[in-house]
Amino acid sequence: MTTSDAPVARLARRALGGGERRFPPEPASLEPHPVMGELPDDGALTTRLLAPIWTPASAWKWLFLASGALSALFVVAMGVTFARGIGAWGNNIPVAWAYAITDFVWWIGIGHAGTFISAFLLLLNQRWRASINRLAEAMTLFALVNASLFPLLHLGRPWFFYWLIPYPATMGVWPNFKSSLPWDVAAISTYFTVSLLFWYLGLVPDLAAARDRAPGTTRRRIYGVFALGWRGRASEWRHYRVAYTLLAGLATPLVISVHSIVSLDFAIAQLPGWHSTIFPPYFVVGAIYSGFAMVLMLMLPVRRIFGLEQVITPRHLDRIAKLLLVTGSMLAYSYLCEAFGAWYGGDQFERYTMLIARPLGPYAPVFWVMTAVNVLTPQLFWSARLRTNPLVLFVAGVLIWAAMWMERFVIIVGSLNRDFLPSSWHLYAPTWVDWSLLAGSIGLFCLLFFAFLRWVPFVPVSEVKRLRHEMARDALPPARRAGDAA
Amino acid sequence: MTPPDLVRLTTSRRDFVKLLGASVALAGLGACVREPDRKILPYVDTPPDVVPGVPLHYATVMTLDGYATGLLVESHTGRPTKVEGNPDHPASLGAAGVYEQASVLQLYDPHRARAVRAGRRRATWSAAASAFAPAALARRVGARGAGLRLLLPPTSSPLVASLLERVLVRWPDARVAFYAPLASDGAVAGTRTALGAPLVPQYDFRAADVVVSLDADFLSSGPFHLRWASHHGVRRRATPPCRLYVAEPVPTPTGTLADHRLPIAPAGIASLAATLLHAVAADPRVTGRVGAVPLPAPSGTLPADARAWASAAAADLAASPGRSIVLAGERQPAEVHAVVHALNAMLANAGATVWYTPPALVDAGSHAIGLDALATELDGRTVDTLVVLEGNPCYGAPADLDLPRRMRAVPNSLYLGAYADETARVTTWHVPAAHYLESWGDARAYDGTTSLVQPLIAPLHDGRTPAEVLAVLAGAGERSAHDLLFDAWRERHGAPPEAEAAWSDALRRGIVAGSALPRATPPPRWDAVARAQRGIADRAGPSRDTTEIVFLPSRGVYDGRFADNAWLQELPDPITKLTWDNAATMAPAHAARLGIVTGDVVALRLGPRTLDVPALLVPGQADGVVSLAIGYGRRGAEAVARGVGANANLLRASDAPHAATGLVIARTGRRHALALTQTHWSIEGRGPSVLGEPPASRPAASERAGAPEPQRKRRPLTLYEPGPPPKDGFGEDQWAMVIDLDACTGCSACVVACQAENNVPVVGKEGVLDSREMHWLRIDRYVDGPLDAPRFETQPMLCQHCEKAPCEYVCPVGATVHSDDGLNEMIYNRCVGTRFCSNNCPYKVRRFNWFDYNAEVAETVRMAKNPQVTVRGRGVMEKCTFCVQRVRQAQRTAWLAGEPRTGPVVTACQQTCPTHAIVFGSLTDPESEVRRLFDDPRGFSALGELGTVPRVRYLARARSAPAPSADSPGAGAAGGGGGDDDDV
Repeated sequence: MTTSDAPVARLARRALGGGERRFPPEPASLEPHPVMGELPDDGALTTRLLAPIWTPASAWKWLFLASGALSALFVVAMGVTFARGIGAWGNNIPVAWAYAITDFVWWIGIGHAGTFISAFLLLLNQRWRASINRLAEAMTLFALVNASLFPLLHLGRPWFFYWLIPYPATMGVWPNFKSSLPWDVAAISTYFTVSLLFWYLGLVPDLAAARDRAPGTTRRRIYGVFALGWRGRASEWRHYRVAYTLLAGLATPLVISVHSIVSLDFAIAQLPGWHSTIFPPYFVVGAIYSGFAMVLMLMLPVRRIFGLEQVITPRHLDRIAKLLLVTGSMLAYSYLCEAFGAWYGGDQFERYTMLIARPLGPYAPVFWVMTAVNVLTPQLFWSARLRTNPLVLFVAGVLIWAAMWMERFVIIVGSLNRDFLPSSWHLYAPTWVDWSLLAGSIGLFCLLFFAFLRWVPFVPVSEVKRLRHEMARDALPPARRAGDAA
Repeated sequence: MTPPDLVRLTTSRRDFVKLLGASVALAGLGACVREPDRKILPYVDTPPDVVPGVPLHYATVMTLDGYATGLLVESHTGRPTKVEGNPDHPASLGAAGVYEQASVLQLYDPHRARAVRAGRRRATWSAAASAFAPAALARRVGARGAGLRLLLPPTSSPLVASLLERVLVRWPDARVAFYAPLASDGAVAGTRTALGAPLVPQYDFRAADVVVSLDADFLSSGPFHLRWASHHGVRRRATPPCRLYVAEPVPTPTGTLADHRLPIAPAGIASLAATLLHAVAADPRVTGRVGAVPLPAPSGTLPADARAWASAAAADLAASPGRSIVLAGERQPAEVHAVVHALNAMLANAGATVWYTPPALVDAGSHAIGLDALATELDGRTVDTLVVLEGNPCYGAPADLDLPRRMRAVPNSLYLGAYADETARVTTWHVPAAHYLESWGDARAYDGTTSLVQPLIAPLHDGRTPAEVLAVLAGAGERSAHDLLFDAWRERHGAPPEAEAAWSDALRRGIVAGSALPRATPPPRWDAVARAQRGIADRAGPSRDTTEIVFLPSRGVYDGRFADNAWLQELPDPITKLTWDNAATMAPAHAARLGIVTGDVVALRLGPRTLDVPALLVPGQADGVVSLAIGYGRRGAEAVARGVGANANLLRASDAPHAATGLVIARTGRRHALALTQTHWSIEGRGPSVLGEPPASRPAASERAGAPEPQRKRRPLTLYEPGPPPKDGFGEDQWAMVIDLDACTGCSACVVACQAENNVPVVGKEGVLDSREMHWLRIDRYVDGPLDAPRFETQPMLCQHCEKAPCEYVCPVGATVHSDDGLNEMIYNRCVGTRFCSNNCPYKVRRFNWFDYNAEVAETVRMAKNPQVTVRGRGVMEKCTFCVQRVRQAQRTAWLAGEPRTGPVVTACQQTCPTHAIVFGSLTDPESEVRRLFDDPRGFSALGELGTVPRVRYLARARSAPAPSADSPGAGAAGGGGGDDDDV
């Protein structure tokens, strides 16, 4: 970049603390694993990374069929819910929220890791994010699609969902801004929009590359439409970098805010088990934790199947495992704080919920599995060997992924089923519709994710190439590098 | 009010009512498919009393096992929709029980029989009337009617009595049996023994300082319970504190209010009565007044706790001569009643708090036979024609009489019944019976006060009354009940002008003035009492080795006659909170010995008969006793009732219909889901927060006036400045409610009243199992202390209309908001159904329409809806509105009349509460009772420390009033302790 940058770019650079190219040289001795394996030249890299979208394997058909069948179940369950009413679920009074909200919070949480990897780590100059950010972001988007379906489904009269949106209605009625649910609508729609833009913007150079390498006219045209006329000119790259960094700057606070606001759906209530000031950080940490678990679940098979060991190296595994360890430990601390707060606060209802109903009540097995998995699993990653073991990581990812669903179940159903008046206590049991919605949402996620793997360059080609250049530069002696900078 | 045309223009009244309601109803009934466009008829000449939108109220009475309860029925353009008590009627005093409240739904029951049936064919009333006219009948039953038998439930109707007399004059050899499954002649037989004449006892609970009940649930069942509950409620609030002793095998609402409650097996009640009599007779305070009465000593089989209870009660009774009442349960044997009558005489209560009247029920004299005798006759083929007038005896009679088989063998039988039920199946003729809201008739209350039954709607299904059938049998032909009644009236009240004035007055007021039966207090016959006492001593007392069973009326469906009433099926039992089922209730310790838990299906074996019933553990039930409600296990054409519960009559024997020993319980290994609206009994140490701190004793009025501070402040500590004090005057009302937990029996009449008033849907057994019941007002029941003798806590729970309502701020669309006059309002058409409000409601009183509950309601049942209350659709929240429609109506009325202040508003629950435990009004009105009670020292806000500032305030239930002399066994602290009160 030159000093003749556009004012916007200067502003962005100043705001973000210097040029994005000022990577400090890596102290190689402390990093046992390289961020990228031995790779051929740029052309070969492009060919290699775009190969999956040109070569359909017969397995796709079965994968699409399986995930499509689950998605169809989702549609059926939604149809039953719309046709018959919420009574098709197991919800009751006192447990007026159950599986659907659990699924909602779970998917929203999963949707955090993508943006965390692509935006947060971009701003923090974490190079290793380059090869996995698109996959993680796609996961975010698809998780958000699921997450935004559940609150709609959950309404007693879903055809009036737009009443939660502030629009100038004829009667002059507005949503109640004191309630956290309109905040939710705003937070999630903002997050979804920014994530989508960020993801798509990052995708544009690769779509152009796909267009240029497409084997047939049809595909070239299709990719050409989505590439928005990208030519790879220097000015385009300059604007692209600025826009990408700015969007990263926008998305980063959203990572924190969205789940904070989701947590307020609970924290602003006075229900014991919900009414807690620790909820926003607790939820954000849990969200990133669950998101990384799902990243592992998706990334490890993709890496293996598509032979991406050179771009997704043990360094990536190590870093994600460390993040799991950090967020998992923070989550364990939150669990402790929650229980301590209930005890120290001295409120009889909160004490009962946190110290008796959860560990000893009817949903105690769920609570204990959830606690054991979420607290103990990440502690494996104190071991450097386990941090790079794909099998251990995959199993840990699945366990945490499931346990984080249980956590939301414990918070929601586990608090609602025993509240203030023992007379209204009642258990909750899911119906087939509840189960179908959960399984179906996983099916829809898989369907979208498989489609993404099949037709979209899921490793950011341009970013990997860029990273390769930077590493090549870093390998030069300092004198050459200084000259390069000048 | 009585429309003037009710008096003379019967035909035109019928036409008018038909025009209003029945045409709509019958159009709906006749159509098997829904017809969206049907003819509607506007008024050509508007009836003078009908203003569209303004309901009219008519006085009538409903009878249960013969005794009448006076009612005022609300009618919207010809459709009766709501039943309330008649304040002028002695059995009601303005209140109505659950059965009366729910009866309006049964009027519109789509499963009622709709046509006369002869054999398998459809027939007409005229055909039935000619088939049973004397001319036709004489050929069958002989000239004197030797082959004619009548079977009918107990009745107090003077009209039926006179017609029955005419029938028996025409057919002198005919015989009449009166039968109702729950009726018992124990009380009358007891007076015959002890006082030498058949009488029934009457009580004045207002004057009773000490009440000792031997298995008498006088506060929530029996013909006069509304009156007695009201009077006892008055006495509970007065000085000095009154004391209630209750010994009962199965917890009842009366028992839950007792200061000293003794769980005791039914076989022990008689010994207990004898012990009590012996102890009272030996007390120097009594012997000093009455002299020594030679009585045999009771047998010594009573357990220690029962002896202690008896001596405490006896000492307390002896200290309160003339100011106490001893009473025995209706279904207790004659000896127990005799002993109780003797006790009241000995304590100088007779003539003061207790007196006697002749029974109001009709007696057939020498023509009467018992049901068992009738059953034998049916077998002997001597009966040719059997006429059954209501009552469904084929279901309700004990199984050993085998009535269905025997009645099927009768060549010619007629059944007048509302449903094609078990009895209708075995008779050759079935005539649909009219609902009381469709009938003309008369009936007497427990004290003999006569009332007229006047219809509010023309019979929907051409139903007939027993009087009309009797008139046919007597040879009077097809006369309408109105004509029969009016003729009888004229016979009694003389010439037309006076008779008609009295008639109008009786219809308007709902009672015939001065018709109560004369009082009497005959002296006891001590020798007969001593014989009864000896008879008790000879009986086997309670034994640890044998299990006893008691058959009780269902709190919902009574003896099965209300089984098709969905409101009553879904009404939680006041004690067990069971809906849509009956169960073998037993003490937890008893069940533990047998290895039984709630929901286990057990096989009950009594003699040769067995029945599979699910078990239900009930704290406070006497050990070794199983109770089973009758009224379930119906097999008739009532679609709601079919398949619900087990038929306890299959276990009953005619020689011991109400209680029996020698029950054998066996586990079957099967399970049955019991739909309980409350599954957790313990208060979990939250008593002080939920139920308030029990004051040391029931405060007297004087204490109240002097106490400056309620036991708990209404507002918790806050950083915010208090708002300006509310203003007084029109449009400045601040509505509030006070519920006295010391007066609430938990009888649940308010629950049904709320359901009827506010169009609350029923959800069925599945819905209750899923915890989706819709009741806006529920009665919470907690038990505290040891499970064998716990303290029962009752708490009506409804929307608390919090000033700082947690539901309001979480609603994303502002569908629940606060009105200026302090109501927490629910705006149905703005609600999108997020249910966040319910999650944030600490009282969990919000109800969600999980399905479109009103979509599948029959056309006729829609007629029962209150047109002033929105019928809610699927997906919206609903909850108690403080009867906002009544509030707004009162405000409109006051505004139109130019009143300075809104007149009194009475909510549906308050209106029907027999003990006046619920008080509603405006806090800004300095004269209002609610204002006074809001600052009562017993007052507290449920979960007040949450800062919700509820507009419902509870008055804490007092600790048990200790007996003055004896060391009372039942007195104990309440509230589980534990929770801290942060509220002050």
